[in-house]
Amino acid sequence: MNIEVEGSTVIEWLRSEEILPLVESFSTGDDLFLAGLDSMAVMQMVVAAEERFGVQLQTTDLSKENLGTAEALAALFTIRRA
Amino acid sequence: MIRDVDVAVIGGGSAGLAAAVTAARRGARVMLLERHGFLGGMGTASLVHTFCGLYLLRSGPGAELANPGFPTEMAERMIAATGLGPVRMGRLDVLPQHPAEFVRIADDLVSAEPSLSVQWHTEVIRLGKSDGRWEIDWACRGTLGKTICTALVDASGDAVTADWIGGLHEVAPRLQRPAYVFGIQGVESFPDEARLAMAGTLVEGMRSGVLPKSALGLSFRASGRPGEMFGTLDLTGGESESSYDPLDPVGLSVLEAEGRRVASSVVDHLRRSDAKWSSAFISQWPVRAGIRESRRWVGRACLTGDQIEAGARFDDEVALATWPMELRERASGPKWRFPLEDLPTGIPLGCLRVPEHDDLFVAGRCISVDHDAQASIRVMGTCFATGQAAGLAAAIQAGGGDPANASAELIRQ
Repeated sequence: MNIEVEGSTVIEWLRSEEILPLVESFSTGDDLFLAGLDSMAVMQMVVAAEERFGVQLQTTDLSKENLGTAEALAALFTIRRA
Repeated sequence: MIRDVDVAVIGGGSAGLAAAVTAARRGARVMLLERHGFLGGMGTASLVHTFCGLYLLRSGPGAELANPGFPTEMAERMIAATGLGPVRMGRLDVLPQHPAEFVRIADDLVSAEPSLSVQWHTEVIRLGKSDGRWEIDWACRGTLGKTICTALVDASGDAVTADWIGGLHEVAPRLQRPAYVFGIQGVESFPDEARLAMAGTLVEGMRSGVLPKSALGLSFRASGRPGEMFGTLDLTGGESESSYDPLDPVGLSVLEAEGRRVASSVVDHLRRSDAKWSSAFISQWPVRAGIRESRRWVGRACLTGDQIEAGARFDDEVALATWPMELRERASGPKWRFPLEDLPTGIPLGCLRVPEHDDLFVAGRCISVDHDAQASIRVMGTCFATGQAAGLAAAIQAGGGDPANASAELIRQ
Protein backbone atom coordinates (compact mmCIF):
# COMPACT_ATOMS: atom_id res chain seq x y z
CA MET A 1 0.00 0.00 0.00
CA ASN A 2 1.28 3.43 -0.90
CA ILE A 3 1.38 5.29 2.40
CA GLU A 4 2.54 8.64 1.05
CA VAL A 5 -0.16 11.32 1.28
CA GLU A 6 -0.02 14.24 -1.17
CA GLY A 7 -0.78 17.85 -0.25
CA SER A 8 -3.28 18.09 -3.09
CA THR A 9 -5.09 15.04 -1.72
CA VAL A 10 -5.40 16.80 1.64
CA ILE A 11 -6.90 19.93 0.04
CA GLU A 12 -9.44 17.84 -1.87
CA TRP A 13 -10.26 15.96 1.32
CA LEU A 14 -10.70 19.13 3.42
CA ARG A 15 -13.08 20.39 0.73
CA SER A 16 -15.06 17.19 0.24
CA GLU A 17 -15.43 16.60 3.99
CA GLU A 18 -16.48 20.25 4.18
CA ILE A 19 -14.05 20.89 6.99
CA LEU A 20 -12.93 24.13 5.33
CA PRO A 21 -14.49 26.10 2.43
CA LEU A 22 -11.17 26.46 0.54
CA VAL A 23 -11.19 28.65 -2.57
CA GLU A 24 -10.40 27.13 -5.99
CA SER A 25 -6.93 28.69 -6.09
CA PHE A 26 -5.89 27.40 -2.64
CA SER A 27 -2.46 25.77 -2.87
CA THR A 28 -0.64 23.19 -0.74
CA GLY A 29 1.62 25.81 0.84
CA ASP A 30 -1.16 28.30 1.77
CA ASP A 31 -1.99 29.01 5.43
CA LEU A 32 -4.86 26.84 6.63
CA PHE A 33 -5.35 28.89 9.80
CA LEU A 34 -5.95 32.02 7.72
CA ALA A 35 -8.43 29.96 5.71
CA GLY A 36 -10.46 29.39 8.88
CA LEU A 37 -8.96 26.31 10.56
CA ASP A 38 -10.06 26.87 14.16
CA SER A 39 -10.07 24.49 17.12
CA MET A 40 -13.49 23.13 16.16
CA ALA A 41 -12.38 22.43 12.59
CA VAL A 42 -9.23 20.78 13.99
CA MET A 43 -11.39 18.41 16.05
CA GLN A 44 -13.52 17.57 13.02
CA MET A 45 -10.37 17.04 11.01
CA VAL A 46 -8.71 14.74 13.55
CA VAL A 47 -11.82 12.56 13.70
CA ALA A 48 -12.22 12.53 9.92
CA ALA A 49 -8.52 11.70 9.41
CA GLU A 50 -8.91 8.49 11.40
CA GLU A 51 -11.41 7.25 8.87
CA ARG A 52 -9.84 8.57 5.67
CA PHE A 53 -6.12 8.09 6.32
CA GLY A 54 -6.17 5.59 9.17
CA VAL A 55 -4.14 7.84 11.47
CA GLN A 56 -4.87 8.42 15.13
CA LEU A 57 -3.37 11.83 15.84
CA GLN A 58 -2.36 12.64 19.42
CA THR A 59 -2.53 15.97 21.23
CA THR A 60 1.23 16.37 20.77
CA ASP A 61 0.77 16.14 16.97
CA LEU A 62 -1.45 19.21 16.95
CA SER A 63 1.10 22.00 16.55
CA LYS A 64 0.91 25.06 14.32
CA GLU A 65 3.78 23.66 12.25
CA ASN A 66 2.04 20.33 11.65
CA LEU A 67 -1.35 21.77 10.80
CA GLY A 68 -0.43 25.08 9.12
CA THR A 69 -0.49 23.95 5.48
CA ALA A 70 -1.82 21.07 3.39
CA GLU A 71 1.81 20.05 2.71
CA ALA A 72 2.58 19.85 6.43
CA LEU A 73 -0.61 17.89 7.10
CA ALA A 74 0.22 15.46 4.29
CA ALA A 75 3.67 14.92 5.80
CA LEU A 76 2.16 14.36 9.25
CA PHE A 77 -0.34 11.81 7.91
CA THR A 78 2.45 10.03 6.00
CA ILE A 79 4.64 9.76 9.11
CA ARG A 80 1.79 8.56 11.29
CA ARG A 81 0.80 5.90 8.74
CA ALA A 82 4.32 4.50 8.53
CA MET B 1 -54.76 47.63 31.03
CA ILE B 2 -55.17 48.82 27.42
CA ARG B 3 -52.57 50.71 25.40
CA ASP B 4 -53.17 52.22 21.96
CA VAL B 5 -50.25 52.86 19.60
CA ASP B 6 -49.47 53.23 15.90
CA VAL B 7 -47.02 50.35 15.69
CA ALA B 8 -46.51 47.38 18.00
CA VAL B 9 -43.42 45.19 17.71
CA ILE B 10 -43.49 41.65 19.07
CA GLY B 11 -40.05 40.55 20.20
CA GLY B 12 -37.07 42.72 21.14
CA GLY B 13 -34.21 40.77 19.56
CA SER B 14 -31.95 42.37 16.98
CA ALA B 15 -34.78 42.64 14.43
CA GLY B 16 -37.42 43.91 16.88
CA LEU B 17 -35.05 46.49 18.36
CA ALA B 18 -34.24 47.78 14.87
CA ALA B 19 -37.92 47.84 13.91
CA ALA B 20 -39.09 49.66 17.05
CA VAL B 21 -36.35 52.31 16.98
CA THR B 22 -36.77 52.91 13.24
CA ALA B 23 -40.57 53.22 13.46
CA ALA B 24 -40.27 55.64 16.41
CA ARG B 25 -37.71 57.77 14.59
CA ARG B 26 -40.14 58.09 11.70
CA GLY B 27 -42.70 59.55 14.07
CA ALA B 28 -44.83 56.57 15.01
CA ARG B 29 -45.98 55.89 18.55
CA VAL B 30 -44.46 52.49 19.16
CA MET B 31 -44.75 49.75 21.75
CA LEU B 32 -42.16 46.99 21.92
CA LEU B 33 -43.17 43.80 23.73
CA GLU B 34 -40.32 41.63 25.03
CA ARG B 35 -40.41 38.49 27.15
CA HIS B 36 -37.05 39.05 28.91
CA GLY B 37 -35.91 41.92 31.13
CA PHE B 38 -33.58 43.31 28.47
CA LEU B 39 -33.39 43.55 24.68
CA GLY B 40 -31.06 41.84 22.22
CA GLY B 41 -32.44 38.29 22.03
CA MET B 42 -29.88 35.94 20.53
CA GLY B 43 -27.14 38.54 21.05
CA THR B 44 -27.84 38.92 24.77
CA ALA B 45 -30.09 36.19 26.23
CA SER B 46 -28.40 33.51 24.13
CA LEU B 47 -24.89 35.02 24.38
CA VAL B 48 -24.17 34.91 20.62
CA HIS B 49 -21.14 37.19 20.61
CA THR B 50 -20.44 38.06 16.99
CA PHE B 51 -22.45 40.19 14.59
CA CYS B 52 -22.42 38.27 11.31
CA GLY B 53 -23.82 39.62 8.05
CA LEU B 54 -22.83 43.26 8.68
CA TYR B 55 -20.15 43.33 5.98
CA LEU B 56 -20.00 42.65 2.25
CA LEU B 57 -18.10 39.59 1.06
CA ARG B 58 -14.73 40.58 -0.31
CA SER B 59 -11.42 39.31 -1.61
CA GLY B 60 -9.67 42.70 -1.49
CA PRO B 61 -8.68 44.66 1.61
CA GLY B 62 -11.01 46.54 3.96
CA ALA B 63 -14.28 45.38 5.53
CA GLU B 64 -17.23 47.32 4.08
CA LEU B 65 -20.64 47.64 5.77
CA ALA B 66 -23.49 46.31 3.64
CA ASN B 67 -26.59 48.06 5.00
CA PRO B 68 -26.85 51.79 5.83
CA GLY B 69 -28.96 53.16 8.66
CA PHE B 70 -29.60 51.08 11.76
CA PRO B 71 -27.19 48.17 11.02
CA THR B 72 -24.34 50.64 10.44
CA GLU B 73 -25.24 52.56 13.58
CA MET B 74 -25.19 49.33 15.63
CA ALA B 75 -21.76 48.45 14.24
CA GLU B 76 -20.43 51.89 15.15
CA ARG B 77 -21.92 51.80 18.64
CA MET B 78 -20.56 48.32 19.33
CA ILE B 79 -17.08 49.21 18.08
CA ALA B 80 -17.13 52.25 20.38
CA ALA B 81 -18.27 50.10 23.33
CA THR B 82 -15.80 47.21 22.96
CA GLY B 83 -12.89 48.95 21.23
CA LEU B 84 -12.80 46.00 18.81
CA GLY B 85 -13.18 46.29 15.04
CA PRO B 86 -14.20 43.65 12.50
CA VAL B 87 -12.20 40.42 12.49
CA ARG B 88 -11.40 38.35 9.41
CA MET B 89 -12.39 34.71 9.83
CA GLY B 90 -11.47 32.70 6.76
CA ARG B 91 -13.35 34.40 3.90
CA LEU B 92 -15.67 36.37 6.21
CA ASP B 93 -15.66 39.57 8.24
CA VAL B 94 -17.43 39.45 11.60
CA LEU B 95 -17.76 42.06 14.33
CA PRO B 96 -17.10 40.78 17.87
CA GLN B 97 -19.88 41.97 20.14
CA HIS B 98 -20.31 41.64 23.89
CA PRO B 99 -23.78 40.70 25.20
CA ALA B 100 -23.42 43.02 28.21
CA GLU B 101 -22.62 45.96 25.89
CA PHE B 102 -25.47 45.02 23.57
CA VAL B 103 -27.92 45.30 26.51
CA ARG B 104 -26.65 48.79 27.33
CA ILE B 105 -26.63 49.96 23.72
CA ALA B 106 -30.22 48.77 23.31
CA ASP B 107 -31.22 50.64 26.49
CA ASP B 108 -29.62 53.82 25.17
CA LEU B 109 -31.33 53.47 21.79
CA VAL B 110 -34.85 52.96 23.14
CA SER B 111 -34.61 55.53 25.92
CA ALA B 112 -33.62 58.18 23.35
CA GLU B 113 -37.00 57.78 21.59
CA PRO B 114 -39.82 59.51 23.52
CA SER B 115 -42.50 57.94 21.32
CA LEU B 116 -41.23 54.41 21.99
CA SER B 117 -42.22 52.46 25.08
CA VAL B 118 -40.79 49.07 25.93
CA GLN B 119 -42.68 46.56 27.99
CA TRP B 120 -40.48 43.81 29.40
CA HIS B 121 -41.51 40.52 31.02
CA THR B 122 -44.33 40.37 28.52
CA GLU B 123 -45.37 37.33 26.52
CA VAL B 124 -47.89 37.75 23.72
CA ILE B 125 -50.65 35.17 24.07
CA ARG B 126 -53.19 36.03 21.39
CA LEU B 127 -53.60 38.20 18.32
CA GLY B 128 -56.80 39.27 16.62
CA LYS B 129 -58.42 42.13 14.75
CA SER B 130 -61.17 44.47 15.82
CA ASP B 131 -62.53 47.41 13.79
CA GLY B 132 -59.68 47.03 11.34
CA ARG B 133 -56.95 47.32 13.95
CA TRP B 134 -54.77 44.73 15.65
CA GLU B 135 -55.49 43.62 19.18
CA ILE B 136 -52.64 41.97 20.98
CA ASP B 137 -53.33 40.15 24.23
CA TRP B 138 -50.35 39.70 26.47
CA ALA B 139 -49.52 38.36 29.89
CA CYS B 140 -47.04 39.62 32.44
CA ARG B 141 -46.70 37.31 35.42
CA GLY B 142 -50.42 36.76 35.70
CA THR B 143 -51.42 40.27 34.71
CA LEU B 144 -53.37 40.25 31.45
CA GLY B 145 -53.41 43.27 29.16
CA LYS B 146 -54.09 44.43 25.64
CA THR B 147 -52.25 46.55 23.11
CA ILE B 148 -54.14 47.97 20.15
CA CYS B 149 -52.16 49.07 17.11
CA THR B 150 -52.57 50.10 13.48
CA ALA B 151 -49.56 48.21 12.12
CA LEU B 152 -47.82 45.20 13.58
CA VAL B 153 -44.29 43.85 13.30
CA ASP B 154 -43.71 40.17 14.11
CA ALA B 155 -40.06 39.97 15.15
CA SER B 156 -40.68 37.02 17.45
CA GLY B 157 -38.20 34.73 15.67
CA ASP B 158 -40.69 31.88 15.82
CA ALA B 159 -43.57 33.52 13.90
CA VAL B 160 -45.56 33.15 17.13
CA THR B 161 -48.59 35.02 15.80
CA ALA B 162 -48.95 33.10 12.52
CA ASP B 163 -51.18 30.31 13.76
CA TRP B 164 -53.51 32.63 15.68
CA ILE B 165 -54.53 34.62 12.60
CA GLY B 166 -54.57 31.73 10.14
CA GLY B 167 -51.41 32.96 8.40
CA LEU B 168 -49.43 30.66 6.12
CA HIS B 169 -46.32 29.35 7.82
CA GLU B 170 -43.92 26.42 7.70
CA VAL B 171 -41.22 24.62 9.63
CA ALA B 172 -38.47 22.92 7.62
CA PRO B 173 -38.28 19.14 8.17
CA ARG B 174 -34.60 19.27 9.09
CA LEU B 175 -33.67 22.38 11.07
CA GLN B 176 -30.38 24.09 11.70
CA ARG B 177 -29.13 22.94 15.06
CA PRO B 178 -29.36 25.36 17.97
CA ALA B 179 -26.22 27.02 19.38
CA TYR B 180 -25.62 26.73 23.10
CA VAL B 181 -23.29 29.50 24.31
CA PHE B 182 -21.92 29.85 27.83
CA GLY B 183 -19.38 32.08 29.60
CA ILE B 184 -16.09 30.79 31.02
CA GLN B 185 -13.59 32.46 33.30
CA GLY B 186 -10.36 31.39 35.00
CA VAL B 187 -8.33 30.65 31.86
CA GLU B 188 -5.62 33.29 32.06
CA SER B 189 -4.44 33.18 28.48
CA PHE B 190 -5.48 31.11 25.53
CA PRO B 191 -2.89 31.37 22.73
CA ASP B 192 -3.28 29.46 19.47
CA GLU B 193 -1.04 26.62 20.66
CA ALA B 194 -3.19 26.09 23.76
CA ARG B 195 -6.23 26.08 21.51
CA LEU B 196 -4.80 23.24 19.42
CA ALA B 197 -3.81 21.27 22.53
CA MET B 198 -7.35 21.72 23.84
CA ALA B 199 -8.77 20.35 20.59
CA GLY B 200 -6.58 17.29 21.07
CA THR B 201 -7.62 16.90 24.72
CA LEU B 202 -11.29 16.96 23.69
CA VAL B 203 -10.79 14.42 20.90
CA GLU B 204 -9.00 12.12 23.35
CA GLY B 205 -11.84 12.60 25.83
CA MET B 206 -14.26 11.46 23.15
CA ARG B 207 -12.11 8.50 22.12
CA SER B 208 -12.03 7.32 25.71
CA GLY B 209 -15.78 7.78 26.10
CA VAL B 210 -15.51 10.46 28.82
CA LEU B 211 -17.08 13.10 26.58
CA PRO B 212 -20.20 12.82 24.45
CA LYS B 213 -19.82 13.06 20.68
CA SER B 214 -21.58 16.41 20.68
CA ALA B 215 -18.47 17.92 22.33
CA LEU B 216 -17.04 17.79 18.79
CA GLY B 217 -19.25 20.73 17.92
CA LEU B 218 -17.62 22.96 20.52
CA SER B 219 -15.54 26.06 19.93
CA PHE B 220 -14.14 28.77 22.19
CA ARG B 221 -13.66 32.45 21.57
CA ALA B 222 -12.19 35.18 23.76
CA SER B 223 -14.88 37.65 24.79
CA GLY B 224 -12.57 40.65 24.50
CA ARG B 225 -12.69 41.12 28.28
CA PRO B 226 -9.78 40.03 30.49
CA GLY B 227 -9.97 36.37 31.52
CA GLU B 228 -13.35 35.76 29.91
CA MET B 229 -14.25 33.39 27.06
CA PHE B 230 -17.36 32.02 25.46
CA GLY B 231 -17.85 28.38 24.60
CA THR B 232 -20.23 27.60 21.74
CA LEU B 233 -21.77 24.20 21.27
CA ASP B 234 -24.00 22.97 18.47
CA LEU B 235 -26.79 21.04 20.13
CA THR B 236 -28.19 17.90 18.63
CA GLY B 237 -30.89 16.45 20.78
CA GLY B 238 -28.43 13.53 20.88
CA GLU B 239 -28.95 12.53 17.26
CA SER B 240 -26.63 12.90 14.30
CA GLU B 241 -29.38 14.80 12.47
CA SER B 242 -31.40 17.47 14.20
CA SER B 243 -35.08 16.71 14.23
CA TYR B 244 -36.26 18.63 17.25
CA ASP B 245 -39.41 20.74 17.36
CA PRO B 246 -38.50 24.34 18.24
CA LEU B 247 -42.09 25.05 19.31
CA ASP B 248 -42.47 22.11 21.67
CA PRO B 249 -41.87 22.83 25.37
CA VAL B 250 -40.67 19.30 26.07
CA GLY B 251 -38.15 19.39 23.23
CA LEU B 252 -36.91 22.84 24.22
CA SER B 253 -36.50 21.71 27.82
CA VAL B 254 -34.38 18.76 26.68
CA LEU B 255 -32.19 21.15 24.68
CA GLU B 256 -31.51 23.42 27.64
CA ALA B 257 -30.64 20.52 29.90
CA GLU B 258 -28.43 18.92 27.24
CA GLY B 259 -26.55 22.19 26.67
CA ARG B 260 -25.69 22.50 30.34
CA ARG B 261 -24.78 18.83 30.63
CA VAL B 262 -22.37 18.80 27.66
CA ALA B 263 -20.82 22.17 28.56
CA SER B 264 -20.24 21.02 32.14
CA SER B 265 -18.68 17.72 31.07
CA VAL B 266 -16.30 19.48 28.67
CA VAL B 267 -15.14 22.08 31.17
CA ASP B 268 -14.73 19.40 33.88
CA HIS B 269 -12.67 17.28 31.48
CA LEU B 270 -10.43 20.21 30.53
CA ARG B 271 -9.89 21.12 34.20
CA ARG B 272 -8.64 17.59 34.85
CA SER B 273 -6.58 17.16 31.68
CA ASP B 274 -5.12 20.51 30.70
CA ALA B 275 -3.00 22.65 33.05
CA LYS B 276 -4.14 25.87 31.36
CA TRP B 277 -7.70 25.01 32.35
CA SER B 278 -7.07 23.91 35.94
CA SER B 279 -8.77 27.03 37.39
CA ALA B 280 -11.46 27.35 34.74
CA PHE B 281 -15.12 27.65 35.65
CA ILE B 282 -18.40 28.28 33.88
CA SER B 283 -19.34 31.84 34.81
CA GLN B 284 -22.54 32.32 32.87
CA TRP B 285 -25.38 30.26 31.43
CA PRO B 286 -27.52 31.60 28.62
CA VAL B 287 -31.09 32.57 29.48
CA ARG B 288 -32.05 30.24 26.64
CA ALA B 289 -30.41 28.14 23.92
CA GLY B 290 -29.78 30.02 20.69
CA ILE B 291 -32.39 28.88 18.19
CA ARG B 292 -31.11 29.26 14.64
CA GLU B 293 -34.19 28.19 12.73
CA SER B 294 -37.82 27.80 13.64
CA ARG B 295 -41.26 28.39 12.17
CA ARG B 296 -41.33 31.11 9.54
CA TRP B 297 -43.96 32.99 7.60
CA VAL B 298 -44.89 32.17 4.01
CA GLY B 299 -45.11 35.67 2.58
CA ARG B 300 -45.82 37.50 -0.65
CA ALA B 301 -42.31 36.65 -1.88
CA CYS B 302 -39.97 33.83 -0.88
CA LEU B 303 -36.21 34.26 -1.17
CA THR B 304 -34.42 31.01 -2.10
CA GLY B 305 -30.97 29.57 -1.57
CA ASP B 306 -30.40 29.57 -5.33
CA GLN B 307 -31.12 33.31 -5.43
CA ILE B 308 -28.59 33.92 -2.67
CA GLU B 309 -26.05 31.80 -4.50
CA ALA B 310 -26.59 33.94 -7.61
CA GLY B 311 -26.72 37.29 -5.78
CA ALA B 312 -30.23 38.13 -7.02
CA ARG B 313 -31.43 41.76 -6.80
CA PHE B 314 -34.99 43.13 -6.73
CA ASP B 315 -36.73 46.44 -7.45
CA ASP B 316 -38.48 46.38 -4.08
CA GLU B 317 -35.49 45.21 -2.03
CA VAL B 318 -35.18 46.71 1.45
CA ALA B 319 -32.06 45.01 2.80
CA LEU B 320 -28.96 43.17 1.63
CA ALA B 321 -28.06 39.65 2.71
CA THR B 322 -24.29 39.12 2.66
CA TRP B 323 -23.64 36.14 4.94
CA PRO B 324 -23.11 32.88 3.03
CA MET B 325 -25.52 30.07 3.78
CA GLU B 326 -24.15 28.56 6.98
CA LEU B 327 -25.75 25.15 7.22
CA ARG B 328 -25.61 23.50 10.61
CA GLU B 329 -27.90 20.52 10.25
CA ARG B 330 -25.29 17.86 10.93
CA ALA B 331 -23.01 16.95 13.83
CA SER B 332 -19.84 17.35 11.78
CA GLY B 333 -19.59 21.15 11.92
CA PRO B 334 -20.84 23.95 9.68
CA LYS B 335 -21.19 23.48 5.93
CA TRP B 336 -20.95 26.58 3.80
CA ARG B 337 -22.70 27.54 0.61
CA PHE B 338 -21.15 30.74 -0.74
CA PRO B 339 -22.60 33.12 -3.35
CA LEU B 340 -20.83 32.19 -6.58
CA GLU B 341 -19.33 35.63 -7.12
CA ASP B 342 -19.35 36.87 -3.52
CA LEU B 343 -22.28 39.16 -4.42
CA PRO B 344 -24.86 40.43 -1.91
CA THR B 345 -28.52 39.46 -2.36
CA GLY B 346 -31.46 41.83 -2.13
CA ILE B 347 -34.24 40.95 0.30
CA PRO B 348 -37.52 42.09 -1.29
CA LEU B 349 -40.18 43.78 0.83
CA GLY B 350 -42.47 40.89 -0.18
CA CYS B 351 -40.47 38.58 2.12
CA LEU B 352 -41.55 40.84 5.01
CA ARG B 353 -45.24 40.93 4.05
CA VAL B 354 -47.95 38.28 4.17
CA PRO B 355 -50.68 37.71 1.57
CA GLU B 356 -53.71 38.33 3.81
CA HIS B 357 -52.75 41.47 5.74
CA ASP B 358 -51.46 44.82 4.50
CA ASP B 359 -50.73 45.94 8.07
CA LEU B 360 -48.51 43.07 9.22
CA PHE B 361 -44.75 43.05 8.69
CA VAL B 362 -42.23 40.37 9.55
CA ALA B 363 -38.57 40.84 10.51
CA GLY B 364 -35.63 38.73 11.57
CA ARG B 365 -35.14 35.00 11.21
CA CYS B 366 -38.81 34.19 10.53
CA ILE B 367 -39.24 36.18 7.31
CA SER B 368 -40.44 34.41 4.17
CA VAL B 369 -37.49 32.46 2.72
CA ASP B 370 -36.64 28.83 2.05
CA HIS B 371 -34.58 26.63 4.37
CA ASP B 372 -31.25 27.32 2.63
CA ALA B 373 -31.77 31.09 2.37
CA GLN B 374 -32.72 31.16 6.04
CA ALA B 375 -29.19 29.93 6.80
CA SER B 376 -27.98 33.28 5.43
CA ILE B 377 -30.60 35.80 6.55
CA ARG B 378 -30.87 34.59 10.19
CA VAL B 379 -27.68 36.34 11.34
CA MET B 380 -27.94 39.45 13.49
CA GLY B 381 -26.37 41.87 11.00
CA THR B 382 -29.09 40.98 8.49
CA CYS B 383 -31.79 40.96 11.19
CA PHE B 384 -30.90 44.59 11.98
CA ALA B 385 -31.53 45.33 8.30
CA THR B 386 -34.83 43.47 7.93
CA GLY B 387 -35.94 44.93 11.28
CA GLN B 388 -35.18 48.42 10.08
CA ALA B 389 -37.15 47.79 6.88
CA ALA B 390 -40.15 46.29 8.69
CA GLY B 391 -40.21 49.15 11.22
CA LEU B 392 -40.09 51.74 8.47
CA ALA B 393 -42.78 50.01 6.40
CA ALA B 394 -45.01 49.65 9.48
CA ALA B 395 -44.61 53.35 10.36
CA ILE B 396 -45.48 54.33 6.79
CA GLN B 397 -48.53 52.06 6.82
CA ALA B 398 -49.70 53.34 10.21
CA GLY B 399 -49.37 56.92 8.94
CA GLY B 400 -51.68 56.21 6.02
CA GLY B 401 -48.94 55.86 3.40
CA ASP B 402 -47.98 53.01 1.09
CA PRO B 403 -45.40 50.68 2.65
CA ALA B 404 -44.12 49.94 -0.85
CA ASN B 405 -42.33 53.29 -0.50
CA ALA B 406 -40.04 51.80 2.15
CA SER B 407 -37.47 50.77 -0.43
CA ALA B 408 -37.24 54.30 -1.88
CA GLU B 409 -37.08 55.86 1.60
CA LEU B 410 -34.22 53.57 2.58
CA ILE B 411 -32.27 54.51 -0.55
CA ARG B 412 -32.72 58.23 0.22
CA GLN B 413 -31.16 57.68 3.65
